[in-house]
Amino acid sequence: MRYMIMMFGGIGAATQDRSAEWIAGMHELLMKLDTELKESGECVASEALADPSQAKTVRFVSGAPAPTDGPFAEVKESLAGYWIVDVDEDRALQIASRVVAYTEYPMEVRRIMDHSAQP
Amino acid sequence: MTGQPRIEDLLREFAPQVLGTLARRYGQFDACEDAVQEALLAAAVQWPAEGVPDRPRSWLLIVASRALVDTWRADSARRRRETMAARDRTGYAPAVGRPGAGRDDRLVLLFLCCHPALSAPSQLALTLRAVGGLTTAQIAAAFLVPEATIAKRIARAKRHIRDAGARFELPAQPERTERLGVVLHVLYLMFNEGYTTSSGPALQRPDLTTEAIRLARLLYRLLPEEPEVAGLLALMLLTDARRAARTDNDGRIVPLAEQLRDRWDSAAIAEGQAILTRTLGTGTVGPYQLQAAIAALHDEAPTAEQTDWPQILALYDVLTAVAPGPVVTLSRAVALAMVHGPAAGLAVLGTLDTDDRLAHSHRLEAVRAHLLEQTGNTVAARHSYLQAAKMTASLPEQRYLELRAARLRQPANPDDWPDQPPHTIDPGTRDEAPGHP
Repeated sequence: MRYMIMMFGGIGAATQDRSAEWIAGMHELLMKLDTELKESGECVASEALADPSQAKTVRFVSGAPAPTDGPFAEVKESLAGYWIVDVDEDRALQIASRVVAYTEYPMEVRRIMDHSAQP
Repeated sequence: MTGQPRIEDLLREFAPQVLGTLARRYGQFDACEDAVQEALLAAAVQWPAEGVPDRPRSWLLIVASRALVDTWRADSARRRRETMAARDRTGYAPAVGRPGAGRDDRLVLLFLCCHPALSAPSQLALTLRAVGGLTTAQIAAAFLVPEATIAKRIARAKRHIRDAGARFELPAQPERTERLGVVLHVLYLMFNEGYTTSSGPALQRPDLTTEAIRLARLLYRLLPEEPEVAGLLALMLLTDARRAARTDNDGRIVPLAEQLRDRWDSAAIAEGQAILTRTLGTGTVGPYQLQAAIAALHDEAPTAEQTDWPQILALYDVLTAVAPGPVVTLSRAVALAMVHGPAAGLAVLGTLDTDDRLAHSHRLEAVRAHLLEQTGNTVAARHSYLQAAKMTASLPEQRYLELRAARLRQPANPDDWPDQPPHTIDPGTRDEAPGHP
């Protein structure tokens, strides 16, 4: 089964007032976890997204698509990065817990839909 | 195995020569390029198992020719061309044995792959495959994109070359000089893509820098009299020499001033300096030679404090006259700050705020942050670091900038205040890839 483990934009604001040591620790945890998941073969894909302040949203305005600055959702709800892991749900929750234990900021774990019909 | 060139090196050496021979003999660059790729893949499978053939280049040429003929044969509408090709084969002496033929062909290939009708990513991918002899899979790995993406990009690039009516020959003057500029720029982009990757988890992808240096060396051998070719090769060597010191063991960025200089590659520095010394003064001084001269001054300084900033500033002044641009202005501001103080540098940055070309680059804010930190204005410096961190699309850069910002954080508890403002001495320069000329 594949799961997407998601981190949200609010993490930026939540960590901005932490100490340099704390931030270095978070970078280390994320890099270490990423390496572990890739080496174990559990990680299918992982990406971090550029800051939502750099995002554009294309809206349908007066009958035509129009790009506007900023994300559609509030920054704190905007996707900041994700792992796609091929594991069971327990393991996906365990991975997310390791990050949340450090950051104290929530992560979302979502099952990815199968393309094939299930028996 | 010792004393024997590695199979991969042989393939990379012969790939452009074989492709050049085929393209000159049959025309149809796109079909020839596919055929050579097929021959390279066949060799990569067979040679390790069965040993390298006695005449590896002929082997590749025969296999590629066969692949080419197979393609034509499979397409019945092209039967006429097949017979023409067969006639050509009997009529021409094999180019394999002709001295010097491979040399010129590689130059023609470089010019063709860097055709101005192509987008920069297409030029890069096609050059890496057709001249560099890399497989589609290797190129895909270097750019961190799926193999199918690169395959399509290369197919599209070759279609554009065909549609543009490009022929397999060196362009005549004055177009030739102009096209050489494009070739140099493509190699420069390839190097920069490897040295300061525009995205992804790693700061550098040495395979791309290594390949760019290899191709620049080739170009320098083919055109030793062109001062900007020499300048570009020297610039790459003098910049890449710092590679091992640019990141720490955890992959974190180390700014130029804090790099352990004994980790710099002294052989590469010596080679770059020698090329530069031979070249400067022999012709028109262009942006690559100037940037190489700046890189050389950084490399020559035994410590960061001993860097000859007045000389670097003078070179940036010349560079501003020869090839003005916002990135040059930005780099010059750093040199200016080192010579005349951070306030002078900050004043120059102010002139860049309205420049749209830098509006989406984090570098302006990052340099501003460093200079503000030097003036002791930690609040504004921290704001600029955080702003730059938001703007960058490079993870290592973002982490570096977040850490710099966090170091300037004002503790919530007044008891935590240090006696002195937390202000570290920093020359304000990052070991960035050189600015675009």
